[in-house]
Amino acid sequence: MNAIEIAGLSKTYTGKKWTRVDALKNLSLEVAQGEIFGFLGPNGAGKSTTIKTLLGLIRPSSGSARLMGEDIGTAAARKHVGYLPENPAFYDYLNAEEYLLFVGRSFGMPEGLLGQRCAEVLQRLQLWDARKRPMRSYSKGMVQRVGIAQVLIHDPEVYILDEPMSGLDPVGRALVKEIMTELKQRGKCVFFSTHIVSDVESVCDRVGIITKGELRSVERVEAVLERGVVGYQLTLKDREGSRELYVPREQLTTTVGELAVQGVEITLLEPRRKSLEDFFLEIVTGTAV
Amino acid sequence: MAANRSLPRPIVWSVSAGILVACYLALIFPFARYLHQKPVQEKLGVVPKAEFLQLVSADQKQLVAEGLTLKVLLYFGTLAEKRNNELQLPPDYQAMSRLLHAAVKLDPYNMDDYYFAQSILVWDVKQIKIANALLEYGMKYRTWDFYLPFFAGFNYGYFLKDYPKAASNYMRAAELSKNPLFATLAGRYLNDAGQSDLAIAYLNTMVLSATNPSIKKTLQVRLEALKKARSIEVAAAAYAKATGIPAESVEELVRQGYLPEVPRDPYGGKFYLDPDGKVKTTSNYASPVKKTKSAPQ
Amino acid sequence: MFEVFRITLKGIFRDRVFHGILVAAVLLPLVPSVSQLSMRQVTELSITLSLSLISFILLLLSVFLGGTSLWKDIDRRYTFSVLSLPISRTRFLLGRFLGLAAFLLLAALVLGVVACVVVSITAGNYPPDRPVVWGNVFAAIVFDALKYILLVAAAVALSTVSTSFFLPVFGTIATMLVGSASQQVYEYVQSPAGEKLTPLLRQCANALYYVLPNFSAFDLKVNAIYGVPLSGQGTLLTVLYFAVYVAMLLLVATVLFSRREMK
Repeated sequence: MNAIEIAGLSKTYTGKKWTRVDALKNLSLEVAQGEIFGFLGPNGAGKSTTIKTLLGLIRPSSGSARLMGEDIGTAAARKHVGYLPENPAFYDYLNAEEYLLFVGRSFGMPEGLLGQRCAEVLQRLQLWDARKRPMRSYSKGMVQRVGIAQVLIHDPEVYILDEPMSGLDPVGRALVKEIMTELKQRGKCVFFSTHIVSDVESVCDRVGIITKGELRSVERVEAVLERGVVGYQLTLKDREGSRELYVPREQLTTTVGELAVQGVEITLLEPRRKSLEDFFLEIVTGTAV
Repeated sequence: MAANRSLPRPIVWSVSAGILVACYLALIFPFARYLHQKPVQEKLGVVPKAEFLQLVSADQKQLVAEGLTLKVLLYFGTLAEKRNNELQLPPDYQAMSRLLHAAVKLDPYNMDDYYFAQSILVWDVKQIKIANALLEYGMKYRTWDFYLPFFAGFNYGYFLKDYPKAASNYMRAAELSKNPLFATLAGRYLNDAGQSDLAIAYLNTMVLSATNPSIKKTLQVRLEALKKARSIEVAAAAYAKATGIPAESVEELVRQGYLPEVPRDPYGGKFYLDPDGKVKTTSNYASPVKKTKSAPQ
Repeated sequence: MFEVFRITLKGIFRDRVFHGILVAAVLLPLVPSVSQLSMRQVTELSITLSLSLISFILLLLSVFLGGTSLWKDIDRRYTFSVLSLPISRTRFLLGRFLGLAAFLLLAALVLGVVACVVVSITAGNYPPDRPVVWGNVFAAIVFDALKYILLVAAAVALSTVSTSFFLPVFGTIATMLVGSASQQVYEYVQSPAGEKLTPLLRQCANALYYVLPNFSAFDLKVNAIYGVPLSGQGTLLTVLYFAVYVAMLLLVATVLFSRREMK
């Protein structure tokens, strides 16, 4: 069973002055357990619409989807999910601890386990010292970390995160990436949206690119990166000192052979590739191969 | 909810809607009947002291005062209607008077209150002194209004027999209205004779200016009664003049041809001549009131 | 549902609006001294003032807390995080409403206890002609609370469709005014003065009378102040009316809220 199964999902709004807005067009996608899936797209592409539909916040116009085999829009489906909304807002009169307890109880966690998990995630996300302060006094980054904490507290099977890195400092970003990798190792499914390509590059197994409500491409990140290698940057060392040399991909073997003959030492060999960013831009701007 | 899982939500919704609407329909008519039959004096409710109202009504004193006045008018209107349907209840005049006093404290310019007090409370409650105090209070504010001295003058003359005060009030009314009629009326108070004519003239003026249908009807009934009493008075006077002795009874006047028939008292009473020769009625010019239960203080 | 109920109560107790409104309750201990303004019915006046003040506080609470509760959830995007939990929208809505209703009852009871102390102090100093009927005072406060709970149900129903602050708050105030006036208007339309109105208008008024909420039945102030006996059947009818009307409002609210999209 796949963690997320989306089949032909579409969403049409009636916009201003009765215009039809196709927010989502016939989207089909499957994400397996133990997989990190990056959902990449420019602003307004339909990432949040997809995610909100999965959580039952929006009703699809047509198509269907399941989370851990349960139809979306039911409480049973949401039971398997930890969801982080985009720019989340939580009851600001509560403190982080109270909110986490509220979330845990809503998932029906037993009190003993809940207390223990609550302390763990608060410490993990560096909210322990602030846990008794009402959330209205929190910074944006802290609220974002509460958002991550409330996703983790009940240890669900599926994690749906809408822009999880936004509002975080570099340390926070690194922490979130670390957490995602851990989740993958524990066989969980992570589905997150972003418009920042490097986030995807560093943690994702697969990436889906969406523009204007249409899913354009779903690829393994490794494959994109391999395909994208265009040449190598060599750092060489000989009697005159060290120097650098760029070698196109197809000339690598011959160049390395020649250098060996000349007695030049290769101290560093780095692949130079078209980044995921370029791949993304190609698709978005429509210059795809 | 377990039901939600087994049944589609629209079905659950429409079934519950059906049940609820049925319950509501079964309930609303007895409920409305209960409210309609709730004793009226309960509906007039209680109003905090005028001093307190003055504090809390802030800059909306006129509005609050108007609210009180309308409450009394609606209450009285309902009561008048119920009187027609033979459903008789003791009107809570005390509460009405309290409300009107509170209203003029808040807004001493509101003519409705004085008019209403004069139309109803004077005749039915006979609290003439209180009514006059109210009118004099109003005169301090409504300095341009001839109605207030006109009312007060009538009360002094007709009810209290204080003719100097009646005359001075009529003079003031004449001054304000530039209408010589009032001056003539003032003159009539020099003797006791023209009482009924005066009352009829007064009521005529009131009826003409009445806009509220309940009040208008009340005044018309009173006017009719007074006119009938007046016709007996005239007949009795003619009888006394012709025979030299006062008539014994109203029936006697009819038998002797001084009256075409025994006039019917619109209040349901019976006209009679008292030993002094004055025309009276058993109804005492008021609707018979069945006391259903003692009115609360 | 119980979790939402708990969160709702916590939210109200920590709300600054609540703290502000609470200040009005400080006036309650002043009632005995103000009541001495009355010449003939000091105790009656103290009951009047206490009941009116409680009613006023409950009105403010239900409009500004009840009317804004659900709207705030939507406006501040709390719904994204809460409705994505495994709580059905029906349960969320019921939890919210029950929290508000419990709060109003609690507030009415607390204020009522203070009022009873205040009234008994006055009654001790100025014994009334007729003894205070405490049962009626209690009933008047409870029915007042029921009235405002009904108002909150209307506020919740309005919040489910609104996108702004105006509909829930002003709609609630309008409901209050309409509910308080409907009986009087009905009596007026039925009276001879009302016969002058056009038949269409009269029919509309009559139809509306049976559909719009009617708050006049919940007003037991006279019974409390003057010890007028309560009608058992009338009280029962009022309670049933309350239950059915609230259930209808909540059903409408549930249907609307379940169909609403959280964009």
